[in-house]
Amino acid sequence: MGTLPGRRLVLLLPTVLGVVTLVFAFLHLLPGDPVEIMLGDWAAPADAVALRRDLGLDRPLAAQYVRFVGHAARGDFGQSIAFRAPVARVIADRYPATVELAIAALLLAVGGAVPLGVLAAVWRGRALDRIVRLVSLAGVCLPSFWLGPVLMFAFAMRLDWLPVSGRGGLAHLVLPAATLALGMGGILVRLTRASVLAALGEDYVRTARAKGAPRWRAVGVHALRNALVPVVTVLGLQAGALLAGAVITETIFAWPGIGRLVVQAIQARDYPLVQGCVLVIGVTYVAINTAADVLVRAIDPRLAEPV
Amino acid sequence: MAPPPGGLVVAFDSDPRSLDPRFQTDANGARLGDLLHVALTRADPTGRRVPELARSWTMEDRRTVVFHLRPDFRFADGTAVTAADVKATYDAVRDPALASPKRTALAALSAIDTPDATTVVMHLTDASASFLDATGLGILPAARAREADDVTTGAGPFRLVSVVRGDRLVLAPNPHYPDGPPRLDPLVIRIVPDETVRVLELRRGGIHLLEDAPEPEMVTWLAAAPTLVVRRAPGTSFVYLALNLRDPRLADRRVREAIALAVDRDGLVRYVLGGAARPATGLLAPEHWAYAPAPARRHDPRRARRLLARAGYPSRGRGTPRFRLVYKTSAQPLRRRLAEAVQADLANVGIAVDVRVYEWGTLYADVRSGNFEMASLAWVGVTDPDLYYLAFHSTMVPPAGYNRGAYVSRVTDRLTSAGRRTFDPLERRTIYARVQRRLAHDVPIVPLWWEDRIAVHTRRLRGFEPSPSGDLRSLATARLD
Repeated sequence: MGTLPGRRLVLLLPTVLGVVTLVFAFLHLLPGDPVEIMLGDWAAPADAVALRRDLGLDRPLAAQYVRFVGHAARGDFGQSIAFRAPVARVIADRYPATVELAIAALLLAVGGAVPLGVLAAVWRGRALDRIVRLVSLAGVCLPSFWLGPVLMFAFAMRLDWLPVSGRGGLAHLVLPAATLALGMGGILVRLTRASVLAALGEDYVRTARAKGAPRWRAVGVHALRNALVPVVTVLGLQAGALLAGAVITETIFAWPGIGRLVVQAIQARDYPLVQGCVLVIGVTYVAINTAADVLVRAIDPRLAEPV
Repeated sequence: MAPPPGGLVVAFDSDPRSLDPRFQTDANGARLGDLLHVALTRADPTGRRVPELARSWTMEDRRTVVFHLRPDFRFADGTAVTAADVKATYDAVRDPALASPKRTALAALSAIDTPDATTVVMHLTDASASFLDATGLGILPAARAREADDVTTGAGPFRLVSVVRGDRLVLAPNPHYPDGPPRLDPLVIRIVPDETVRVLELRRGGIHLLEDAPEPEMVTWLAAAPTLVVRRAPGTSFVYLALNLRDPRLADRRVREAIALAVDRDGLVRYVLGGAARPATGLLAPEHWAYAPAPARRHDPRRARRLLARAGYPSRGRGTPRFRLVYKTSAQPLRRRLAEAVQADLANVGIAVDVRVYEWGTLYADVRSGNFEMASLAWVGVTDPDLYYLAFHSTMVPPAGYNRGAYVSRVTDRLTSAGRRTFDPLERRTIYARVQRRLAHDVPIVPLWWEDRIAVHTRRLRGFEPSPSGDLRSLATARLD
């Protein structure tokens, strides 16, 4: 497996195993018993003992760990304690919603940030540049737990343009996607601006201009292509942050995604479900970053060559 | 998504974990289970068992209960509910192979006979006055009662149409419901975890009914909306301060009484809850059949200081506390505000309180293991007064029961044991009146309040009555104009 995706796949296994092991260890360090939380106050101790045995929670931790990893390797993540359903099915129900939200946020962030970053660089020091820098700074600084309700109040309650919460058509996607996209977009705008500014000062751009290339071509083709390399790399890393940010955004907007599911699972000490979610998020994160690396090499073929 | 025409949208804060009566353990599951299933009996607002599927029952002797079923109940698929379904459901729950969390509640049951389709005879291993409390179990079709997966087919007023986990559940009327199918079609349960968003959705019309009381200031805001109506009803949920009597300071009754006198319950209800509760004197609310008025302990910081001094904790001058206590609470905003208010009240009598806020799972584990000094807890859904045995008998220290503070009293032990063996309601009432007086004297816990039920709904909703326990059963007869 000499190709990049192949090498990444090989790396994926120890990465995911490491993450799962850490999560398993930390989950079991947390005080709280899933059986007691599940059964609540009204359950009798005998029921708790029986259920603990039924769920395999009475075995030594090492045995539980080996059992989980062995089953996970065969694609069996076990049974959710809280939902009484296979973990794979519970995650499959929620994963598409998170992917939908993340893609929408990504499109919004990239679609807004790259053109604005380029324009700010081209018109450096002018009013547009100042406004873009200010807005991007606000985007980075404002936490989603504040921004979400503010957007909701403005666009759903006051203006009545968009639904308040829930998952439905395209209109439902706008506010949660915008909440997620703003923070990521802020970083991308600033990075694009800085990268384009650096590229504009390079010899190849000056040469292109000297050879008569119009300004838009010098910027849009020559400068931007090189400036995109760090932007795409950061984009890959930010996609992971997007999954983490989804926890808050999904809770605020009642979006039935995997972010909210993780919180529910942790609160219920639903060990198999937490581990399953972490596994899926970990794999997604690595897959996105592999895709970003492939894209970077397509933009700049020099990076594909061994040094 | 816009509410469907003719349908009602209700908001829940989280998914029900199970809609199968054999496995239901959470509050939201129970509220929906009430709409999907029927049980032999159900609790009325006073805590008494009243007929549902059983039109009547008789005690043949102290160990035999005969239930006579209504013949007109049908499951949502049209088949009649018979004694065989009752037997199959109860037998399935009693079977250890199913690992039902409700198995122990039926421990007193030894056998079930079904002489005919409408008669169920339950034989008990021992005389148990609280056994009827276990007959609130929803009945499933006999053919499906032993399925390992969740079964949601019931004979309740609604049937389950679809579930999108984390988003919504859609219910439709059970066309065979004997009291007439509900007029709300469909009934949509939306899962909206954030309280502010639930309130905004209600105000904007995205949901029609909010049954979980929002924060007091939000209720005021909602009450100002011309399209909404705020309904209040006395509730049975009991909020209290748990005290750990293993701690030598709290083992002294005078210290516990001083804490009870130092806490300004009226002030808490007025300022922390916006008046949406009644100051409590004990576990059972005044509506409960076994309630007995206990002497009210009025806010009296002066007497509290005297009691503390007498217990060996004299005043040590301004700014120096008599002693310090750790107060554990969940992260719920209301509980945190309560902790701050109690902290101020106890500081006023010279007890310094360190408030520690925990996520619920951690708090619960600490309380169960006795790793606390003082904690704010609640009892929800109290029906049979046998809870006094489980919560205060000296043998009921966790994991055996709920005596988390390790309270020991021979008088309470004797009375609560007698209460569970006594069938005569009047006699039982007398016994539990004595239990309540004893606990008011011993102060093993500090009663705070009985929470009011606050429901906010659209003015178009008619016939809905908020219930003291928070169940949604009146939606079976409600309509949307």
